[in-house]
Amino acid sequence: MAAYILALRLGRWGIAGFGAVAFLVTLVQAAGFYQIAGHTAEERQAFGRSISVLASQFTVIIAPPIRPDTVGGYVEWRAYGFLAILFAIWGLASASGAARGDEERGLVQALLASGLSRPRMIAARVAAFGTGGSVAALAGSAGLLAGVASGGETISAATALEAAVVLAALGTCCYSLTLLVAQFTSARNSTAVAGVILLGLFLINSLSRTFDDLVRWRWLSPFHYYERSSPLTPGGTLDGTATLLLLGVAVAAAALAAFAFRYRDVGSPLITLPTPTRSASYQMSRSPIWRVPVVRDLYERRFSLLVWTVGLSALGAVFVLLTKAIVKPLLAIPELAPYFALFVNGNIYASFLGFIWFGFAQLLMAGFAITQVARWSAEDSDGRLELVLSNPVSRPRVVVERLTVLTLGALVIAAVSGVAVGLEAHSQSIDLNHRRLAEASLMLVPFTLVFGTVGALLASRIPRATVGILGAFAFASYLTVQLGPIFKLPAWVQDLSAFKLYGQPLTAGVDQTGLVVMLVIVMAGLMAAAMVMKRRDIGA
Amino acid sequence: MDVAAIRTSKLSKNYGLGRGLFDLDLHVEAQEVFGFLGPNGAGKSTTIRCLMGLIRPTAGAAQIFGLDCIHDYVAVKRQVGYIPGEMPQFGSLRGSEVVAYLGALRGGADLKRVRSLAERFNLDLSRRYREYSSGNKQKLAIVLAFMHQPRLLILDEPTSGLDPLNQQEFFALLSEAREGGSTVFLSSHILSEVERMCDRVGIIRSGRLVTIADLDELHAIRFHHVELEFAPGTEMPVKAMRSAAGVEDVVAADYTAKCIVKGSFEPLLHALRGSTVTNLVSHEPSLEEIFLEYYRETAPAKALTP
Repeated sequence: MAAYILALRLGRWGIAGFGAVAFLVTLVQAAGFYQIAGHTAEERQAFGRSISVLASQFTVIIAPPIRPDTVGGYVEWRAYGFLAILFAIWGLASASGAARGDEERGLVQALLASGLSRPRMIAARVAAFGTGGSVAALAGSAGLLAGVASGGETISAATALEAAVVLAALGTCCYSLTLLVAQFTSARNSTAVAGVILLGLFLINSLSRTFDDLVRWRWLSPFHYYERSSPLTPGGTLDGTATLLLLGVAVAAAALAAFAFRYRDVGSPLITLPTPTRSASYQMSRSPIWRVPVVRDLYERRFSLLVWTVGLSALGAVFVLLTKAIVKPLLAIPELAPYFALFVNGNIYASFLGFIWFGFAQLLMAGFAITQVARWSAEDSDGRLELVLSNPVSRPRVVVERLTVLTLGALVIAAVSGVAVGLEAHSQSIDLNHRRLAEASLMLVPFTLVFGTVGALLASRIPRATVGILGAFAFASYLTVQLGPIFKLPAWVQDLSAFKLYGQPLTAGVDQTGLVVMLVIVMAGLMAAAMVMKRRDIGA
Repeated sequence: MDVAAIRTSKLSKNYGLGRGLFDLDLHVEAQEVFGFLGPNGAGKSTTIRCLMGLIRPTAGAAQIFGLDCIHDYVAVKRQVGYIPGEMPQFGSLRGSEVVAYLGALRGGADLKRVRSLAERFNLDLSRRYREYSSGNKQKLAIVLAFMHQPRLLILDEPTSGLDPLNQQEFFALLSEAREGGSTVFLSSHILSEVERMCDRVGIIRSGRLVTIADLDELHAIRFHHVELEFAPGTEMPVKAMRSAAGVEDVVAADYTAKCIVKGSFEPLLHALRGSTVTNLVSHEPSLEEIFLEYYRETAPAKALTP
């Protein structure tokens, strides 16, 4: 019981965070349905048809909606399709941390030394995640009920509860599968290997909707069993067999993980390959990289920078690749014309890319900034900053170097992804203004720096809470600008969003005011962060 | 007039609830080896962090070689080699890269000096930092602190994690640094460690400096728990033991005796002359026990303060 409570305590921020996201997502989508679906039966049927056509372009990723003309069907498609992916990622991250991260921190050794058996430890961790996942999924149900109530309608609490059960079962299944995979990998590779396997299982299911050859394999995927239930749609039910299968896989994977854990050394995978012996070296590195400020930090982050650059470039190219296939059918739907009128400005493909791709790219760049800020916070809490400052280095220099590294990293990502988008647009015969594409890509740099300087200020003042606050700031900013037009939020509210400052440079050119405001924020944030850093206690 | 290596005046860092550091007055001469002794949580690391300019004192001031630790913190660091209480994470960097990285912050490190230190402690710099044991991480900390031959070494429990052989090597290195003209400020919670190396020792408890003692005073403060076993059938010299100088609290039964020895063992050994002692075990007391004994003797003069 103590191990279970400890596991719950270790995961409390995850439960709170994912619960809050689940609540917000279902609330916003349910409330948003009443803003855009119309009020008469005819309007809603027309809306449902439009959404079905729109959704047919995304079946590679998300299952097609069932009865999107109803709030239940719409929320099940818009919110629960996204939450399934989110809960799978949560299970992956949490299980990797529990299985191997806690070993590196020494927590597993301490628990085992206290007399806790290995199978009980695994059982406590899975039970705690199952509990936390259920709480977060119930928060999603609460958001759904509140959102539906805001439209003056009701939805059965039992169906909302069923939706939570299926979501929690999927998350727990992914958690247990990751625990099992982590027994066979090195600590630093466990997240990547389990992530690739879960992604593979996800794609087997999602691509089987397009490629018939994959249909016979989708029984392997937990996402297939998740989609068998559709409790929120009229006439839909919770598939008891499929849900029990999800839970059965979770229990079986946890049992196998416990079995493997019994036979492996703490800190090592179950199967290890012998490493070649080599003689010791007492030489300090002579590489000139370590002598150049900023360059040495970029070098240290080279792998993550490469992943961000390749990932963003590939995603950008995929968005361009899908642009015509998505936009052409949508243009044929007269009911969607008012919806497009909210966003489209001139060239339809450029507008689509400007709004969809660069909107998404902003979110990713905010994520990039947050990961860098998280690193700064970690340097403070694990004592690295203390060791750096035990050398003749000024504190403002640390802040300036950090932001310079962030600037150069963002510049590399923005430039390479911009080139990738431009090349793919050329091959797809989509006419993009090269100058504006360059401007739109480069505008991502000051945008990233806005989050970076806010993060630098927070990391200089309250390093342990920085990532949570900055993440909430980014999420709220994104929601404000994405949902502002739909919910007809006042202009001044939308102007508060950091995403609003970016503007629509691909179609409307650089928003000079937005750029100046961003630069002012960056300069003011840099100076404030340097001042706060100079006066604060390190490691206290 | 020579400038003091370290000087603090009413240095305080108040964390509230009686925790922190209060009114610390220290004066450490150049080329002195000064021990800073105290139990866990006494305020040793807080003092060191104030000296390193990592935390700002709530009152008072600290100077290193006449430079203010807060306002001249960059200049101070040029003079100082530092071993932190805990080494941080450097993830997948190799030991050689950590040395190059932190050495570069000082404008470069002496390759020969680094090699000599690493060889001396048998520290393989080609291994990744995350593969290092806690002892190897501490060895790396030693290399980083000594590689630029600083004028002042500030060492926060530098032998923690080192095995006895490497501890010996570390003490030898410290002696060489002292002979080379360096000043050493060394914190520890092990009395014998500071007694062995230091010219003077400051004893801190609950954030307040209890006393500054030289070696003779330190010997007077310290004591040992001694357990003796006598051969069956022999007479135990209990009376002689009780009358021996520095021997206290003698308890004897069943051919075993326990007592406390303060200062030299010579009076006890003299009292045991002619007896057949089959076993003699001496335990060094914990710092808390030393403090309790110290306060028991000096209670009228010194108040126990939080």
